[in-house]
Amino acid sequence: MNDLTCDIGYKSINHEGEQLCGDHVEVVEQEDGSTVIVLADGLGSGVKASILSTLTSKIISTMLAAGLSIEECVETIAATLPVCSVRGVAYSTFTIIRLIRNQTAELIQYDNPQVIMLRGGDNWEYPRTEVTIGGKKIFRSLIRLQEDDVFIAMSDGCPHAGIGMAYNFGWKREDIITFMEAMNLCGYTAKTLSTLLVDECNKLYGGKPGDDATACVVRVRRRVPMNLLFGPPSNRDDGDRMMNLFFAKEGKHIICGGTTSSIAAKWLNKPLRASLDFTDDIPPIAYLDGVDLVTEGVITVNRVVEYAKDYIGENTCYETWSNGKDGASRISRLLFEEATDISFFVGKAINPAHQNPDLPINFNIKMNLVKELSEALKKMGKRIKVSYF
Amino acid sequence: MKVTVCIGSSCHIKGSRPVVEKLQNLIAEENLGDRIELGGTFCMGKCQQGVCVTVDGNFFSVTPETVTSFFEKEMKAKV
Repeated sequence: MNDLTCDIGYKSINHEGEQLCGDHVEVVEQEDGSTVIVLADGLGSGVKASILSTLTSKIISTMLAAGLSIEECVETIAATLPVCSVRGVAYSTFTIIRLIRNQTAELIQYDNPQVIMLRGGDNWEYPRTEVTIGGKKIFRSLIRLQEDDVFIAMSDGCPHAGIGMAYNFGWKREDIITFMEAMNLCGYTAKTLSTLLVDECNKLYGGKPGDDATACVVRVRRRVPMNLLFGPPSNRDDGDRMMNLFFAKEGKHIICGGTTSSIAAKWLNKPLRASLDFTDDIPPIAYLDGVDLVTEGVITVNRVVEYAKDYIGENTCYETWSNGKDGASRISRLLFEEATDISFFVGKAINPAHQNPDLPINFNIKMNLVKELSEALKKMGKRIKVSYF
Repeated sequence: MKVTVCIGSSCHIKGSRPVVEKLQNLIAEENLGDRIELGGTFCMGKCQQGVCVTVDGNFFSVTPETVTSFFEKEMKAKV
């Protein structure tokens, strides 16, 4: 094993007027630390396409994760997919990205636009081998991973964007590469990169996509640990122990909560300076030497949970938190973009002032916030550890 | 004169933001910026009495409704 990790994100838009997407992305993690990602594009659009692509991606990811060969997967799909009554064929294209222990990527591509790979920020034409399985031409590649490698898999809805409207022949591969090279410089996450690509397609379609369009991005990056302290310990005498453990950890340190940061300030023997910049309806942040970020507790974390839920879904708020100066935006950037391994240090003390029924904050809500946030972060592919005090 | 307003969760919900903004405006209107230092702090441990404000260490409970009279009586008159 090395200290690399893969940040995976994807987003789809549907054909105009369709409620279902004909593209499907399936991500399966294996016990040995390998990951199988399948992007399938079913024939046509709507419910038929959706069934085809879901079946294809589910079958391939499950079979590959169980250690079966690609030949067997393809044969199974050919034998299983329902035949379209109109067109008389069962058809779904697919792209497989298999990340083997974060060291090697295996690409298996069938009829989808060729996966774009950026290495060191520039387009990199990786070698491909053509194999024929069950009469289908399939391209395979094996690539040794390096830090900052980016893989961009797409359904054909992306390069077809804007045909006959913005462009005569759609959004050309070279132009998509140029667009993604520029976006990649900004250090966006995989989810944001895929969102930017698909949103651009949507614009080229004039907001009325003529096909389902999906982008799936994989970013290879180094593991970044981060630590977040939230709430004072239930037993006052545990304060020093909690601080010892928290500050002994490698990586950046975030503290959420007024009382909590006062305890930390006392432990560090440094002054806690609160700012008065109300940039949003989130309470201002504070400054404490030795801590990377100090914010208020429940209100700020509640907003972070909202951003986290949006991020794993539609990702419509990223413009807000990726630039915001308030505590919630800052935490979101650190947790969603920068960190890969997050340790939560959660104090279970009950703040008597919060037990007022008139206030929208109480102890249960606080514990729930931690649970919801760690679940959302796990869905982003992060390693989470929660310790209670 | 050092005036500190609590910006912790509880006081935030009870209106520390309008209190701070009003005080900032009043200080600017009265040209007292060089004589009054306005600062923020996290929880003072008296959340039930929020919004918590201290003037040179003396504790006061202020609300967005009482902030103007508080400014006249405890800040402008004593500075």
